[in-house]
Amino acid sequence: MASLLDASKPRINCSMLSQHIGRGVCFVGRVEKVHPTGKTFSVSDGEGKSATVELNEPLEEELSGIVEVIGMVSSKGVITTTTYNILREDKGIPFDLELYNEALKVIHDFPQYYPFEVAASG
Amino acid sequence: MTKLSEGTIEALSNGTSVSDAVLQLVNIRKLDGGNGPSRFRVMMSDGRHTLSSFMLSTQLNHMAEENILAPNCICNLKRHVTNILKDGRRVVIILEIDVIKPAKDVAGRIGDPTPYTEGQSKGPQSAPVPENRPPLQPQNRNEAVNRGLNRDFGKKAPSVMPNTPGGSSKVVPIASLNPYQSKWTIRARVTNKGSIRTWSNSRGDGKLFSMEIVDESGEIRVTGFNQEVDKFYSLIEAGKVYYISKGSLKLANKQYTSVKNDYEMTLNGESTIIPCEDSCDVPMVQCDFVSIGDLENRDKDAIVDVIGVCKSVDDISRLTTKSNREVSKRTLSLMDMSGKVVTVTLWGEEAEKFDGSSQPVVAIKGAKLSDFGGRSLSASFSSTLMINPDIPEAYKLRGWYDKEGHAMDGQSLTEVKGGSGGGNTNWKSLSDVKTEHLGHGDKADYYTCVATIVFLRKENCLYQACPSQDCNKKVVDQQNGMFRCEKCDKEFPNFKYRLILSANIADYGDNQWVTCFQESAEAILGQNAAYLGQLKDSNEAAFDEVFQHANFNTFVFRNRVKLETYNDESRIKATVMDVKPVDHKEYSKRLILNIRKLAANH
Repeated sequence: MASLLDASKPRINCSMLSQHIGRGVCFVGRVEKVHPTGKTFSVSDGEGKSATVELNEPLEEELSGIVEVIGMVSSKGVITTTTYNILREDKGIPFDLELYNEALKVIHDFPQYYPFEVAASG
Repeated sequence: MTKLSEGTIEALSNGTSVSDAVLQLVNIRKLDGGNGPSRFRVMMSDGRHTLSSFMLSTQLNHMAEENILAPNCICNLKRHVTNILKDGRRVVIILEIDVIKPAKDVAGRIGDPTPYTEGQSKGPQSAPVPENRPPLQPQNRNEAVNRGLNRDFGKKAPSVMPNTPGGSSKVVPIASLNPYQSKWTIRARVTNKGSIRTWSNSRGDGKLFSMEIVDESGEIRVTGFNQEVDKFYSLIEAGKVYYISKGSLKLANKQYTSVKNDYEMTLNGESTIIPCEDSCDVPMVQCDFVSIGDLENRDKDAIVDVIGVCKSVDDISRLTTKSNREVSKRTLSLMDMSGKVVTVTLWGEEAEKFDGSSQPVVAIKGAKLSDFGGRSLSASFSSTLMINPDIPEAYKLRGWYDKEGHAMDGQSLTEVKGGSGGGNTNWKSLSDVKTEHLGHGDKADYYTCVATIVFLRKENCLYQACPSQDCNKKVVDQQNGMFRCEKCDKEFPNFKYRLILSANIADYGDNQWVTCFQESAEAILGQNAAYLGQLKDSNEAAFDEVFQHANFNTFVFRNRVKLETYNDESRIKATVMDVKPVDHKEYSKRLILNIRKLAANH
C-alpha cells in the first residue's frame, strides 16, 4: 500500500472510476452517508454522482463536508482508502465542487499539458 | 336663444383682448403631440365668424376629456391669452371658460357663421370692443419675433425693437441676445435650476444661483446674485416657462457649462421675471448628445451631454471629503448604440434617489468628463440628470436596447476595479503587456494581472513627508530639528513617513518592475508606513524580516503603464494602482474559460 503513495494518483470523479480499476486515485467529494459501522461511507462528486469509500479502520471522528480520499479503485468500483483529508470550509471560503469538477475535466481533456505521470515517476 | 357675443372673433383675430365673451363651441379635436400632455384644438363661433385657432390650456384638458366641452355647447370665455406663432398666425389660448349651456340643450349651430379670415370686416361691430390696447401685462401681449432683428452679435446698432405705446416689449429669441441691446424680453423654459450657493471671502459675503433656460432658438445660462436671489429664487421652478427681460449679457465662461451660447446672462436690478401661462411651443430641453464611443476623443474636463441605457448600477456608498463632510456617491454604467460603456458617478441627493432597476434611459446634460480609469463621467452640481426623458433619442435607445443592446456586453471606457472578473476588467499576462506595447500610446494604459512578488527594494522605500493632512511633499531636513515643506511654505518640528516601494513582480511568462505608493505598498508589506519608519530606525533585523515575509506572495495587481521620456530616453513606467488578494474561484473560472476558448478555436 505504501507504494501507492509513491505512484501518481490522478484526480478523478465517478465517471472515471471504471477507467482506473486497480489503480491509485485521488477522489474529492462531499460526504453523503456514513455507514453505522463507520467502515464505509458514500461520497458525491461535482456532477452529483455517488461512489462508495471503504476504510481499513472504522472512523474515529465525525465526517462531513468535503473530503479528499487517496486509495485504490477495486474491481467493484469502490475506493479502498489509504489515507484521507478533510478539506476544512470553516475558514470562510467554501469549496466549489462543481468548479473542481470543471478543472478535473480540463486535466483529463488535455493530458499533454498535465504530465503528472512523468513528474511522479521522475 | 342665448345671444353670442358677435364680433368677438374679429376682435381676437386683431389682437384685442376680450373678457366674458359668449361663444359657441363648434368643434373640438384632440391633438396627439407625443411630448407631454395631449392638447385640444377648438373651433369657436360668435354667431358671425368662426375661428379654429383656439387651444385649450392643459389645465382645462379635463373639460374636454369629460365631454363638458362638446360641439354646440355655449360657453363664456372668461380668460385667455393670444399668442402669435412664428408664421404670424394667432392662437388663442383658453385659460378659463364656463359652459353656460351644455351641448345637449342646444339645438344646433347658432346663426350662420363663416370662417374669419384676416382683413375682413363685416360692418360695424355691435359687441363692445375696446379700441385701445389694454395696459401691458406680458401674458396678454407678445408679438411676433421681429424677422428683421439682427442676429449678428457684435453689431452696435441701437435696438431694433421699438416699444409700442402700450409699453409692451417684443419677445426675441435667446439666440439673438447680445451685450449691446438691453431692452428685450425672452420667453424661455427653465431646464436646470441650481441651488443657492454662498461665499465668504476677504471682500465680503454673497450668494448666487444659476439656471439654464431654453427656447426654440437656443439656450443660455442665467445667474442672479444677492438681491436677485431674494427676488427671484423662490419664484422660479424648473420646467416652467417665464418671460425674462433686461438681464445683462457678457461673454460666457465655457469652462463651467456645456450650454451652447457665446454669452451668459446676469440678472440685475432692472430685470423682470414673469411666469408665462402658455408654454406649448417652448421646448423642454436642449441637448447636444455625444456618443459614448466618442468620449475617448474628447479632452478630460470637457463638459458634455450624454444619453444611454443604464446597464447596471452599484450600491450607494458614502465618502468623507477633505473638509470632513459626508457625501453619498453611486456609480452606474451607461451604454449607447456605439456599444461602448462608460461609468457615471452621481453624488448627493441624486445618488440617493437614483433607481437603476429596469435599466432606464438616462440622459445627463453638462456631465463632466474625466480621465479617471481612462474615461469616466461625473454628474456635477450643474449637471441635469433626466431619467427616461420624453425625447426622441430616448425612444430610439430604448428600442435599440430591447432589440439588441441588452445582449451586448459592451466595451467599457472606464477601468473597473476589482478581480470579480466582471466583463470589464482588462486581464493581461506580463508578457502580453510587453508584446502588446501597452502604455506606448498617448494615454496611459491600465491592465490587471495575477503576479508574484519576486523582489522588494527595501533601500529608500521610505521618505519623510510633510505632516499636513493633504500634503505629501518630501520635506527638507533643516538639520536643526525642523523640517521644511516647500509646497506649504512652512517648517514643522516633525514629519510623517510615506512609502514609495520599488518591486519586481513576475508570472509564468515575464516580469515587470513596478512602483507602489503608500496604500498598495502597505498592503504588500502588511505594515503601515509609520511603523516601518520606526522599525528602520530602531530594529533593522525586524525591518528586514518584514520584507522577507512579503516576498513571493501572489496578488492581483491593477497597474498603470505609460511611456515616459526623460532627456531623450523613453522608458515604460508601471505604477501599481491597486493590490488585492487572489480570488481563486474567480481565477479558476477564468482560466477554465480561456482554456476552453483556446481549444474551441483549434
